Amino acid sequence: MTGTALEAAALGKKFGRRKAGWALHDCTLRIPAGRVCGLVGPNGAGKSTLLAHAAGLLAPTEGSIRVLGTTPAAARERIAYVAQDKPLYPQLTVAETLRLGRELNPGHWDAAVAGRVVDEGGLDRDAKIRSLSGGQRTRVALALALGKRPELLLLDEPMADLDPLARHQLMGTLLADSAEHGTTVVMSSHVVAELEGSCDHLLLLGEGRVRLAGPLDELLAAHTLVTGPSSGDLAPHTVVESRTTGRQVTALIRPRGPVGAGWQTDEPTLEELVLAHLRAPQAPALTLMDDGADGGETDGAEVQEAAV
Amino acid sequence: MNAATVKAAEAAGATETAPAPRPMSPTHGLFRAMLRLHQSAVWFWGLLVLLTAGALLWAAGPGVDAAWAEYDRPGCHDGEPNLGCDTSGPAYDRYDTAVQLASAVIGLAPILAALWAGASLIGRELENGTAQLAWTQSVSPARWLAAKLAVPAALLTAGMLLLTLSHRLMWSEHIGKWGQWGTWEWYESQILIANGPLATAHVLLGLAAGVLTGLLTRRSLTSLGYGFFAMVGLLYVLGLLRPYLWPAVTATTTPKEGYPDILGMTVTEGALGPGGDRVPDPCLANAKCALGADGITGYYRDYHPSSHFWPLQLVETGIALAVTALLVLAAFVLLRRRTEGVSSPRTGGTP
Repeated sequence: MTGTALEAAALGKKFGRRKAGWALHDCTLRIPAGRVCGLVGPNGAGKSTLLAHAAGLLAPTEGSIRVLGTTPAAARERIAYVAQDKPLYPQLTVAETLRLGRELNPGHWDAAVAGRVVDEGGLDRDAKIRSLSGGQRTRVALALALGKRPELLLLDEPMADLDPLARHQLMGTLLADSAEHGTTVVMSSHVVAELEGSCDHLLLLGEGRVRLAGPLDELLAAHTLVTGPSSGDLAPHTVVESRTTGRQVTALIRPRGPVGAGWQTDEPTLEELVLAHLRAPQAPALTLMDDGADGGETDGAEVQEAAV
Repeated sequence: MNAATVKAAEAAGATETAPAPRPMSPTHGLFRAMLRLHQSAVWFWGLLVLLTAGALLWAAGPGVDAAWAEYDRPGCHDGEPNLGCDTSGPAYDRYDTAVQLASAVIGLAPILAALWAGASLIGRELENGTAQLAWTQSVSPARWLAAKLAVPAALLTAGMLLLTLSHRLMWSEHIGKWGQWGTWEWYESQILIANGPLATAHVLLGLAAGVLTGLLTRRSLTSLGYGFFAMVGLLYVLGLLRPYLWPAVTATTTPKEGYPDILGMTVTEGALGPGGDRVPDPCLANAKCALGADGITGYYRDYHPSSHFWPLQLVETGIALAVTALLVLAAFVLLRRRTEGVSSPRTGGTP
């Protein structure tokens, strides 16, 4: 599957009239279709704002956002979105909520999928939404989202309320569904470990801008964790973050050419990559584009580095 | 998953899919969903309308008959004057209470509509994010708002028309019995409004004002407060304007006769100066002055006779509906701006 699921060009959103009210600023990104993209960033980085724009709930202050090749409004039937606080109508029962999904999505509602998600959690269909726990509500919200058979699934902190077992199980359902139907998933989270093993694309936001974007394995490959004497020189390489402990320095670098002798190198984990960037907000942004990566080319990656 | 749960899931799936293939138009589904979401409000409104219409129909039938019989018995109707005629009996009290309560419901309906629309219909949904849920369940914000307006508007209109018809029936029985000597006058606001389409127009205005307040505040509680003041203000302004919505008739009298009789809704009144010009009545400031003193050549009263009932009704109905349309338009524009931006957000300048 080729194509672009989500594309933003210089997207900016300002809330209120305050000068400092920019939730997103000059945000340019592209998420290819068919990916499971993890959206990470510190609190207030603009993750929710970006997802709400993609879902067609907010109008950008500047720039533009395109979803599945069109505007978010035109793609409304092909997108599903689960907001952070999992809003549902408290006065309806689970069954009535599923019926609502069927009524609001005539012609493209998959009752079997929605029913399965609900039943896996052992939910009583006659229970009122207001009587459900946070995790159970998450399950119903996900059932509504998956039931409409989206091409793009936008999830804002989907797993925050779930216990580890339910989290594992729902993530499995999500990923299986996504793989089976080629659904693009964009999922924000601040639990990085949750994304490891489920995401193949990463988008790191910080202060309303893109800090890191690209296919996960390529991003990991573009970084190296080096350990060496504190007197060592990392000159040609871009140092994202370095920490000195005693006479040793550990640094996350973007190597430019071979790393000199005397340095012990290691491939960073996702968590190390993300944490290093979170700890070093001044590190330059990096966007890796995979041009037709799904077409079989493996080395079509283009590295863009820009000083912030 | 063991065999039992698989079977249960299959059974559940089967019951779920069985009624699904029935084709359903998007609008039909949306309207059905709307009715289910606001089920309790629908029940409340239905019950309120039935009770009020019941009270009015009772007043138009047995209520007015009993009150009239009680009034007629001591000969108050065309016999000699009797002190007892000035006090009302229990049957009349019951009749009066029923009519007053019904009038209160009709008079308060626009405010109720505004409060409910602002807080429950719109404000709570925006506050809880359930509006956003609907917008991502394939219902565009514009369609969502259209359904939010259309379904309540239809139910409110149906209810108010029933109440208006009942009220007209009650009124014609009242006039038929008491003539112009009844307790209420046609031009009193609660009677005037309830006797025509104006009552419905006021309620629709309340719905639109509430919806716009809900969209502006995005909070249910805040919307209750603002909605109340907005709607009371709108009704107050309409009430102030009401006498001026149609050219009034002028009655004049000689100084000896004093002020003209009250023949309907008074717009203005006063004294006439030497040239027939309207001057302030000197007697208003001076208790000792006599009629016709200080060069007063007569008195005048601008008023609406009862034949002005329909012109006044229809002009105010038109104004209320026009304001309603403006508020609805503003609501759509506001929602569109918020969710889709103005016509072309593609290239925004940097601030």
